[in-house]
Amino acid sequence: MTTIPLFHVLILSSLLFVIGFIGVVARKNTLFILMSLEVMLNAVGVAFIGAGSVWQQADGQVMFILILTLAAAEVAAGLALLIRMQKRYHSLDIDLLNRMKG
Amino acid sequence: MSAITSQPDALFSLTMAQAILPQLIIAFGIVLGLLLVAWRRTQQIIVCFTALVLVLALIANISLYGTSTTQVTQLLLVDANSSFALSLVLISALVALRMSYRFLKAHIEVHDEYYLLLLLVVFAAGILVTSDHFASLFLGFELLSISLVGLVGYQRESQYSVESGFKYLILSAAASSFMLLGMAFIYSVSGDMSFNANLSNAIYHQQGLGLFFQLGLLLLLSGIVFKLSLAPFHFWTPDVYQGAPTPVTLLMATVSKLAMFVVLVKCFVAQRYLLLENVQLFLISFAIISMLLGNVMALRQQNLKRLLAYSSVAHMGYLLIILIVTSEQSLAFSWQSILFYLAAYTLANLSIFMVIALLQQYSSDAPYQEDILLTDLQGLFWRAPSYGLLMILALLSLAGIPLTMGFIGKFYILSHATIAHAWWLIAILIFASAIALAYYLPIIFKILTAKANDPQHMPLKKQHLIEQALVYALVVISLFFGILPEFVNQFIHS
Repeated sequence: MTTIPLFHVLILSSLLFVIGFIGVVARKNTLFILMSLEVMLNAVGVAFIGAGSVWQQADGQVMFILILTLAAAEVAAGLALLIRMQKRYHSLDIDLLNRMKG
Repeated sequence: MSAITSQPDALFSLTMAQAILPQLIIAFGIVLGLLLVAWRRTQQIIVCFTALVLVLALIANISLYGTSTTQVTQLLLVDANSSFALSLVLISALVALRMSYRFLKAHIEVHDEYYLLLLLVVFAAGILVTSDHFASLFLGFELLSISLVGLVGYQRESQYSVESGFKYLILSAAASSFMLLGMAFIYSVSGDMSFNANLSNAIYHQQGLGLFFQLGLLLLLSGIVFKLSLAPFHFWTPDVYQGAPTPVTLLMATVSKLAMFVVLVKCFVAQRYLLLENVQLFLISFAIISMLLGNVMALRQQNLKRLLAYSSVAHMGYLLIILIVTSEQSLAFSWQSILFYLAAYTLANLSIFMVIALLQQYSSDAPYQEDILLTDLQGLFWRAPSYGLLMILALLSLAGIPLTMGFIGKFYILSHATIAHAWWLIAILIFASAIALAYYLPIIFKILTAKANDPQHMPLKKQHLIEQALVYALVVISLFFGILPEFVNQFIHS
């Protein structure tokens, strides 16, 4: 069995991360922004697991579990805000949130 | 983490438990608080309980002074610096608690979860200031962000709450994933996630991995810098400061900034990242842009909270200078100066935000005023002398006028920069401070000039006894430490 070089794993995770980041920046719908944030976090998870397997340590996987927990907590807070936004503005367009300027 | 499992006998001892007693008390307090909410929902009980937890943690923390540095598993490292920072955090949290109670008392609803979130913020700061490992840095960082998101968007009826909550959530989640990717890159090259990692068997030389290491450092730095709201990453600060309830802004301006700066210094000093040229370059550019941009943007603000947000950007820029010029030999002195500056900054921010919170709703039957503009401060000194005095002292301290703590703090920064011959940084620091005077002094003049016979500017009603006592105590403390700064240094040293 051939092992996958660490370099390739890191390139893959960087690509996924950039895709997620573009989603956060370019999307207008807050629900999709939250989803793109998940993509970013999971890209980091790929990098951690790859690194952990290269170094033969459990640390990478432990970090991945912590990241999963974080992602769940973040989405919980995000969806709560999302519901309030829907109630107040009857839309999920992020551009509506522009009351404060200066 | 692998080392922990290999030696189970040394996993956890009594000395370790003693060293993290404040954190344990807060954690236990959070769990008990949840049970308390299930038992009986009253504002009074939960407030008293939270205050009790914070005071107990503060006592436990002060009793730690003078004990030696303790490594608590791989994750935490308790030393004199972290104890001092934690004391500052707990004191700010106590003030925030009192202001929150005042702010939430007006509602009929019972807000237990608010106080639990407040305790969680304090707990996260307690983890951050003692962290010695990427995992604990990450956990503290996230606990801080997510509980702050809850607090920022707390005030449902406010027109700003959804907006500031969303801005904070999305940007801080993006920042934390940047930081995590940085950690992953560093870990994949070095194979060790603790702060004082042994980099001797790191694999920089392998195909392209050196590049990933550099990139990882940059990403890690940008995540932390976002939380400190240094210049290219400061866009969220004014909006979130303005939109959050004032007690929460107080927490963000003191607890979160303080804990993040302490962890930044801990991480970068222990890893010797500062010796790398690229990191130096980025830190210098962050510091310069923050000092200039923060002060220039603050010049044209009419809203007091936004103005303070921009001034905090500038202050973090000043503070970054110490980190840039620090060296192996001057490390103890650097820590002392950083903690002193942070103490001065915390005290000034506590005072100002407390006055803002008191002005927003100066009596229980008065309407709640969401935005405090600079014009609302007109003649404050004559309407409520103690508030005016506290505000003036805090503004002078932020501006760095002699006989305040802020002056001594700036003096420390200047002396560090002079020792390291960083003349450009000194020049920009002085120039930026001069710009800062252009918005601090007009506020002070405004507080001192009275408009006679204006029905809007009647003397304010007497406050509750505890608020009055807090205001007077802060006035006395800022005067005392401003004139006799050695006392603060004694606390830092012990």
